[in-house]
Amino acid sequence: MSMKPKKTGGSSFVELIQNNSVPIMFILICAVCIPVSGFSPGYLVNEIMTRLGRNAFLILCLIFPIMAGMGLNFAMTLGAMAAEIALIFTADWQVWGIPGIVLAMILSIPISVLLGVFCGQILNRAKGKEMITSYMIAFFVDGLYQLLVLFMMGPVIPILHSTLKLPRGYGIRNTVSLLHMRQSLDNLGAIHIGAVKIPVLTLVVIALFCLFIVWFRKTKLGQDMRAVGQNMDVARDAGIKVERTRIVAIVMSTVFAGLGMVIYLQNMGNISTYSSHKQIGMFCIAALLVGGASVDKASIRNVFLGVILFHTMFIVAPATGAKVTGDSMIGEYFRVFASYGVITIALVMYEMKKRMAKGKIGQQLQLAQREEESQ
Amino acid sequence: MKKIPMRTLLFRVGAVLLLAVIAYSMTIIGRGHTVYMDSKRLEYNGQTYETPYKVEVYVNDEQVAKLYDKERGMSIWIGQKFSMTLEITQEKGGAEETQEVSLTLPRKMDGIILNLPALLAGLPEEAYLSEFVAAPSEEEAPSDEGITDEFGLSTTEELPAE
Repeated sequence: MSMKPKKTGGSSFVELIQNNSVPIMFILICAVCIPVSGFSPGYLVNEIMTRLGRNAFLILCLIFPIMAGMGLNFAMTLGAMAAEIALIFTADWQVWGIPGIVLAMILSIPISVLLGVFCGQILNRAKGKEMITSYMIAFFVDGLYQLLVLFMMGPVIPILHSTLKLPRGYGIRNTVSLLHMRQSLDNLGAIHIGAVKIPVLTLVVIALFCLFIVWFRKTKLGQDMRAVGQNMDVARDAGIKVERTRIVAIVMSTVFAGLGMVIYLQNMGNISTYSSHKQIGMFCIAALLVGGASVDKASIRNVFLGVILFHTMFIVAPATGAKVTGDSMIGEYFRVFASYGVITIALVMYEMKKRMAKGKIGQQLQLAQREEESQ
Repeated sequence: MKKIPMRTLLFRVGAVLLLAVIAYSMTIIGRGHTVYMDSKRLEYNGQTYETPYKVEVYVNDEQVAKLYDKERGMSIWIGQKFSMTLEITQEKGGAEETQEVSLTLPRKMDGIILNLPALLAGLPEEAYLSEFVAAPSEEEAPSDEGITDEFGLSTTEELPAE
């Protein structure tokens, strides 16, 4: 009979701190920066609410590959690029408001599926190195995206409106205006409580997506994904099609990233054609990690905690930097440094934990062998 | 290769068709137009249609223009069925009369000019409706380099000089 070692109050507290070190660090940063920044609570809550509506959907799409044991999907930018292409067409066809958002979402789906299948197949050939591979795939597809948008839109793919095209007559301008679509989703049914605007419909869409994730985990495919995530060999022996399940996870992540990017850009009101998607993967992953997720475990709770903490830091850091040093750029640098730093810390901690777990298993095996020899 | 069951195939095809139908209907429902209202004298079939003294234009219960002779108002509209309310004052100091106007906008036109005197006189569409074509600008559009993304990061942005 095996017995669990009894945890003392002190050791469980240390464990709690260790397991939640990143969220605790960010809570401390926010606790210091908020009073220094001088922002009113109303302003701060309003900003956080806006960013929650803008980013939560995008971050939620990262949960599927983590479930399937593929780590953090840096290739979510593929979905973002699909959404940008769809939005360029929507803007060119002059479809505005909520119908424009729906059309862009539908148009992004086939592009996202194609890119997701492509990405999933490559990742199946790079098992164990999914994160770095997906990171490089994002760069590769960005090149293809630029080729498409910069050279093929106009001469090959018809673009009707010259206002979208570069002065040379082909290629898309650096900025595409989504003025007639701007915050259509956020403003529909929005509630104002004091200085805080609550984008009810956007939050309903996010809530529906959360419910979908909860339901999906219980389905056969969801269970298969979790099984694959825990141990691919065992899952294969149990009759699960491991490769197919992994591809489905990436396709789902890419498709939902596309939908999330449409929500994100309708809130922004314009597309920065050549840079909107570039940082999005990095910042979504950083926000998820700040919420306490790791490379192999993430939940909806992590997403919301991450958005709130990470974006609070984003809002207050420049003002704090300006107050403390007299230069707001210090705050800007700090938040960029923190974003990349938190990803690095999370990856290092994941590797350390993995090694420690391996070490523990080794020790246990050694102990068992000694016991056998002594008998 | 494994054969896909008929039921699954039907569901997939059905889902794709449904999405295609929704997408197409969105292009009709969400088609955006910029509607320009001209209060301008019109000659049609040898007859002259004079402008009223003042026309106030309301779209979705919001005043979008107050037009005197030779003036132009503008409104944006999503969809094909356009409706507006006109409050017309024929002569200075005269009584206001209200008129509801509904018309179907041509789907292929982005900018549409409506001539109000022709519209109020009940003339055919060719008389009151024409396409707005923007005059080509002689000045080159300003460069939009240096626009930053949501996180304030951009490769084109220059760091402030010390």
